[in-house]
Amino acid sequence: MKAEEIPIGSMVPLTGPSSADGKEFRNGVILAAEEINADGGILGRPIRPIFLDTGRQSAAEVVRAARTLIGEHGVHALINGYNIGPQNAEYEPVADAGIIYIHHNTLLQHHDTVMSNPERYFGCFMGDPAEYWYGQGFIKFISWLRDSGQWQPRNNRIAVISGAKPYSVVIANAMGSAARQFGWNCVFGPKVTQCPREGWHPVLDEIRALDPAVLANTEFYAGDLARFQLQFMQDPVPSLLYLQYGALHKTFTDIVGDRGKGVIVGTMIGLPRDEFGQAFSAAYKQRFGRDSTPEVGCQPYTSLHHYAIAAALAGGSGGPGAFEQNRRVSRKLLKTVYRSVSGTIRFHPKWQAAVPYPDATHDPSLGMPHIFYQVRKADQECALIAPEPYADAPFELPPWLA
Amino acid sequence: MSGGDIDQTMTRRQDYLEAGFEAIDVGIALWDDLDRLVTCNRAFLERFAPMKLDPAESITQTEFLRLLAGSGLLVTPLSRHDWLEKEHNAALSGETSEYLFNDGSSVRVERRHLGRRGRLTSFLDISGARRVEWDLERARDSAAASDQIKSRFLRAANHDLRQPLAALKILIYNCMTAKDDAEREDLLHAMDVSVSIMEDLLGALLNIGQLDAGKIEPKISTFQVSTLFDRIKVQFDHQAQEKGLDLRIVSSACALKSDRSLLERIVSNFVSNALRYTETGRVVVGCRRSDKHVRIEVWDSGCGIPKEFLDSVFEEFFRISESQAHRKHSLGLGLNICKRLAEMLGHTIAVRSEPGKGSVFSIEVPLGNIWHSDIGEPEISERIGGEFAGLLAVVLEDDVILRDALIALLERWGMQVHSIDSLENVPGSLQALEREPDLIITDYRLRGGIQGTEIVAEINDRLEKPCPAIVVTADTNPELIDTIRRQGFPVLIKPVSPPSLRVMMHNILYEPELVQELHI
Repeated sequence: MKAEEIPIGSMVPLTGPSSADGKEFRNGVILAAEEINADGGILGRPIRPIFLDTGRQSAAEVVRAARTLIGEHGVHALINGYNIGPQNAEYEPVADAGIIYIHHNTLLQHHDTVMSNPERYFGCFMGDPAEYWYGQGFIKFISWLRDSGQWQPRNNRIAVISGAKPYSVVIANAMGSAARQFGWNCVFGPKVTQCPREGWHPVLDEIRALDPAVLANTEFYAGDLARFQLQFMQDPVPSLLYLQYGALHKTFTDIVGDRGKGVIVGTMIGLPRDEFGQAFSAAYKQRFGRDSTPEVGCQPYTSLHHYAIAAALAGGSGGPGAFEQNRRVSRKLLKTVYRSVSGTIRFHPKWQAAVPYPDATHDPSLGMPHIFYQVRKADQECALIAPEPYADAPFELPPWLA
Repeated sequence: MSGGDIDQTMTRRQDYLEAGFEAIDVGIALWDDLDRLVTCNRAFLERFAPMKLDPAESITQTEFLRLLAGSGLLVTPLSRHDWLEKEHNAALSGETSEYLFNDGSSVRVERRHLGRRGRLTSFLDISGARRVEWDLERARDSAAASDQIKSRFLRAANHDLRQPLAALKILIYNCMTAKDDAEREDLLHAMDVSVSIMEDLLGALLNIGQLDAGKIEPKISTFQVSTLFDRIKVQFDHQAQEKGLDLRIVSSACALKSDRSLLERIVSNFVSNALRYTETGRVVVGCRRSDKHVRIEVWDSGCGIPKEFLDSVFEEFFRISESQAHRKHSLGLGLNICKRLAEMLGHTIAVRSEPGKGSVFSIEVPLGNIWHSDIGEPEISERIGGEFAGLLAVVLEDDVILRDALIALLERWGMQVHSIDSLENVPGSLQALEREPDLIITDYRLRGGIQGTEIVAEINDRLEKPCPAIVVTADTNPELIDTIRRQGFPVLIKPVSPPSLRVMMHNILYEPELVQELHI
């Protein structure tokens, strides 16, 4: 007799501004499910992924997706990449149903919501560290470049442009508050600046007059970052330039081409180029084509594997209403440190979020690497320049500073 | 009783004796008149098990002692030869010995002559009793040391606090009879100085007390030298200005690995001394970096220290001379505290000086790994780093339970919250705010038939600009909700869920074009 399938829901933005990522999130879940099923599923039961589009990722769209997946499909878990807009509103149907939910929203508010009522939100996990760590990690990164002599800033001034999303605001604020401790003086911002209709030139001119050695833009969307980069390069401010995660996207490279060379980009969850990362990358591209992006698809891929291990250790998964079984799965997720293709996922016992390395642990075997890339030419892979032991290339002075 | 009965009784008694002999936990060995082992019990064999004794082999007591000496089972300060000689004599004379075994146990060895039959040796484990004795000894030593510390503390306190205390008494008396405000002002200032001197002295004495009592435990972390220098600047800038000295702190960018607060105490002591012994010129604080270390240096242009005293300046109660002009301000403890703290941290401190030109005190600290830097936030939450952290919200809600819950939620998100309770005096309540609010959250129906939107309008008039505002209401009448929206306010229906409030707050504050009713 064929074993009953385990329905796993995935809320992915297949349309709208993050659809490129949404496609990769879907790929990641598909590949993980295929691998798990090929090995016999969870205690003999195969996984059946069900995808719902979250469009512009607003709270209403994501909550609707969660309710449909739970109510109509009876999913045992929700596992997906990020949805930028719901602000944890989707935690309510998840908590009401008592199922497991692992996402990569990269939001500090996850800590707050889980810690506000650990009993209710026992099933909610964030498979990557909060965006907060981007901010202070970035300040440590530029201080490391400075103190190790790899780069000599001409002054200690730093300018921070913040995107309007909570994600961007939190990162920018964290940069601003950590700067002084490391000897930096924040002369611009953190200032929330929505992608201006008239273009970035007035903001860039204002910043140029302040002569910062470092310029960071925490805008979320890859397209907005690309427009910023093109306008920046028309008359570059002589600063080290950091752009938020979106600049890792193919969309960004497609728009800016070689004019992105030298930009620093960070991610709380990426794909180290070690044995694990390379093997996954090869398998992913073989399955989804050369133009696919394993650096994005790895997010739900790792979490679905982690969930499958925890559910198997807990004696099986549980559908909506199976609170006790899912509590067992939750406990196993917390206890099981998983070395994924993205580095180590170790859930913090209170935050129920992955602990970042080196931001919150000094031990690379106990944290997910907060990776810093430097963009190279359009036809080249980004250089992974920090942290050790994952770095595979040295920092290079950006062309506009050389 | 027949002969058979007697034999039977004797045999039973023999059995009991043997069973008892085996059962007791005291090791027993019986040696015959030729010093050969006749018998021994289980406890004896277990105690000396590593020697693999075979009771059937009847070794002599001398051989037993030789084997024991070579077994490594015992811990003794004596040489093997001396120990054997001592034990051999003890065996002959029947003296008691004590063996300390390498597992930490102590055994008392007692010998009994059994006349012509030979000797009995017993081995009694006295580890428990010994431990109690040692603990008592340690407690006694500690109490004695504590007494010494207290005595020294009191002697020093008595000696050095007398002067500012005596000055203070005179100043208080003079102040009571001061002729005018100006004189009183001067005297109060002098009293303030005396009190601060006493504070410094007591602080130094307490430091020494804590060090003596072993109560200081370093907490090593990685931090930027600039954070240390910033605090030094705040601490001493004013003092330097008052004395007309130029205090220069040369900023530097590098990470240190040390105990932040203990290192600050050391550098503060250096700077405090430099300012005290410098009458003109400047004091410079800076660092020099080598491969693995950073040397923090404090330069002064003071009187300097004669060469012959350089080795002694870090000693306790050291002063160059009793007539030292500044002695009333100092116990001669500061540099000793520095030395002891530096030793505790494993850092090297040094001094070089040229009389008449000045001195340089320095401490060498290991370079830290900047990635390990401590940001000082052990628990990351929205209260510290959330998107609303630091914003000011005004709340208008009559229901005490709802109001308290809302305030608790907003504070958990890191916001400052001001609740307006008196609707009769909104301007007065707003005046109590240190700055303009970033957000207003108001119930629609407030007491006395007042509408929340009216209060928002009043606040906006006062601020002369619109403040982002959210209206909450328990009334689900679509017409009413529509009316409120038409006035330009987003509406949330009670009970308000934290996620929907969060979404609304984010949109109204950062993305106002996205403000819309959310039915979630």
